[in-house]
Amino acid sequence: MKHWKLWLIAPMMAACVTLLSGCTKETAKNTECDMLSTWVEGKQYEQYFFSASGMRVDNISSTTTEITFIVKSMENLPEQLPVYFTVTTGASISPASGSMQNFKNGPVTYTVTSESGENSRQYTVVFRQLEITTGNTLLYSFEGVDSVTKSSCQYHVFYETGISGERNYIWASGNEGVTLIHSNWTPSKFPTRSTNDGHQGKGVCLTTQDAGAMGRMMHKPIAAGNLFIGSFNVDQVLINPLKCTRFGTPVNKEPVKVSGYYKYQPGEVFTDANMNTIEGRTDEASIYAIFFRNQNESGENFSLYGDDFTTSPYIVKIGQVASLPPTDEWTRFELTLEGNAPDAEALANFGYSMTLVFSSSKSGDTFEGAIGSTLLIDEVEVTFKQEQ
Amino acid sequence: MLLMVGIAANAQSGSIGLTARLGYNIGAYAPLSIPATITSIDAFHLTPSPQVGVDIAIPLSNQWGVASGLRFENKAMDVAITAKGYHMVMSRGGEGLEGLFTGHVVQHSTGWMLSLPVYATFDPCPKLRLKAGPFASLLVKKEFSGIASDGYIREGGATGPKITIGSTSDTWATYDFSADMRGFQWGVAIGADWQVLPKIGIYLDMSMGLRGIFPADFTAVEQTLYPIYGTLGVFYRL
Repeated sequence: MKHWKLWLIAPMMAACVTLLSGCTKETAKNTECDMLSTWVEGKQYEQYFFSASGMRVDNISSTTTEITFIVKSMENLPEQLPVYFTVTTGASISPASGSMQNFKNGPVTYTVTSESGENSRQYTVVFRQLEITTGNTLLYSFEGVDSVTKSSCQYHVFYETGISGERNYIWASGNEGVTLIHSNWTPSKFPTRSTNDGHQGKGVCLTTQDAGAMGRMMHKPIAAGNLFIGSFNVDQVLINPLKCTRFGTPVNKEPVKVSGYYKYQPGEVFTDANMNTIEGRTDEASIYAIFFRNQNESGENFSLYGDDFTTSPYIVKIGQVASLPPTDEWTRFELTLEGNAPDAEALANFGYSMTLVFSSSKSGDTFEGAIGSTLLIDEVEVTFKQEQ
Repeated sequence: MLLMVGIAANAQSGSIGLTARLGYNIGAYAPLSIPATITSIDAFHLTPSPQVGVDIAIPLSNQWGVASGLRFENKAMDVAITAKGYHMVMSRGGEGLEGLFTGHVVQHSTGWMLSLPVYATFDPCPKLRLKAGPFASLLVKKEFSGIASDGYIREGGATGPKITIGSTSDTWATYDFSADMRGFQWGVAIGADWQVLPKIGIYLDMSMGLRGIFPADFTAVEQTLYPIYGTLGVFYRL
């Protein structure tokens, strides 16, 4: 009788061991290798920055690979500076965190290697001085267009050319979020893209699009075409898309007026966040200009995000184009910024930021709009307050 | 084939026996070893997974015989795990977000199936019958879906964009691979029937699928998952 028991029990034990084997397994080594934050340490270096907060860059997004420190003057920058980093748990960085490096001759490349050793990412750290706006106007013609490839998709990004010919990627859009739900898309399919039929040369074409089955699953059924001065961080696109859009670039002048040219045609069927048709409602485009304080009372960096970009207490002046009637002809628009006067000293030290926000669907931030709504933009001019 | 041999052989030995069975399946669609990317199993819920069936047993000698039968049964799994860098695809309508997920996964799988086992049987004593042999199952209803929440997915791999996944229904991600599940499973089973009363007894079976529940070219789930189930039930000799 004894032998049959073993015959029965042995396979059962084997099965149980299989099911429980996970309990004894070692924890896998971390395969991630991100730069999380970076800072310049040392009181003696504060003089080179506009504020102490400018010495830190925190919450580096997972898609950022170039970190910029804004300094007052590149010329006066010391030959050697210690830049410190925090990286993913277990990961290492080379050159070492805190090592003295020369940033005067251009970016320094750092490599972060995962604890597991199998992955690494390269980051460039660049020190830059902001361009001082000297004239009374600034013209954005949208002639600078790059195609970037991400997740098998290719889309357009717009840049402005600096005085020494460098490309400043001050414009951002939600295109990167769209790459998550589509494969092999080309620039012409994206909600935000360049068009050769601008008012002069190239222009910007913004189209509200169907965000597909994935978008509907996440209650984000449409993707409005948008373009803004700032940056887009894809990390929170599913949980809090309004936090993905970070607005503004530091300016040393006070904007008073924004003008430009547009074309607009609303899409046919207006829908809400659940993709229900709202009868009788016609989509509208929107154009905003916002001028705001970029530091809070504690001297920390402040940014406007999609959830408070018209309501934040840090907004000093704001303007919106009153209406953008549908038109197939290039039509001039203009807005005036209303609000308070900035503090002159803070302004001279780039303590204020400005953003321009264009959207093919006014309520695209709450995922209401009409698929197909198309806004074209070109030759946008910002007029600054004349110096006394 | 075995059955035919059995029936032919029956002419010489004892009589054919019919048995009705009612049992309960407990087990999992599980990988052969739990990967390091699953850091913990947080919950394992019992599922309504009955088994009903009729067996035919044909004695070939005093102790040996063959048996087969038809069962209608459910093999399901409700499990919650914590994953770290677990490869997965969240998809809807042909569009998907593929990458390495770190966070919580609540996984629900169920399969209603018609199963046909073929056993060699051995009776070490009159009240006990041991069984072993292959089985095949035809799935009539299948589901494999789940929710990934409270974490993030690195799109494409460990260095890809890090997409935060929330903890509410409009911020978490779901997946559904029901349609990808194979409609046919097979494997091996062993078991024991213990006759308690003249016509009534209890049985304990263990079955191990030898074919992954998804096709070999299906990559959305990192491991090959096999149906590994035990059945506890009562039988009645008809």
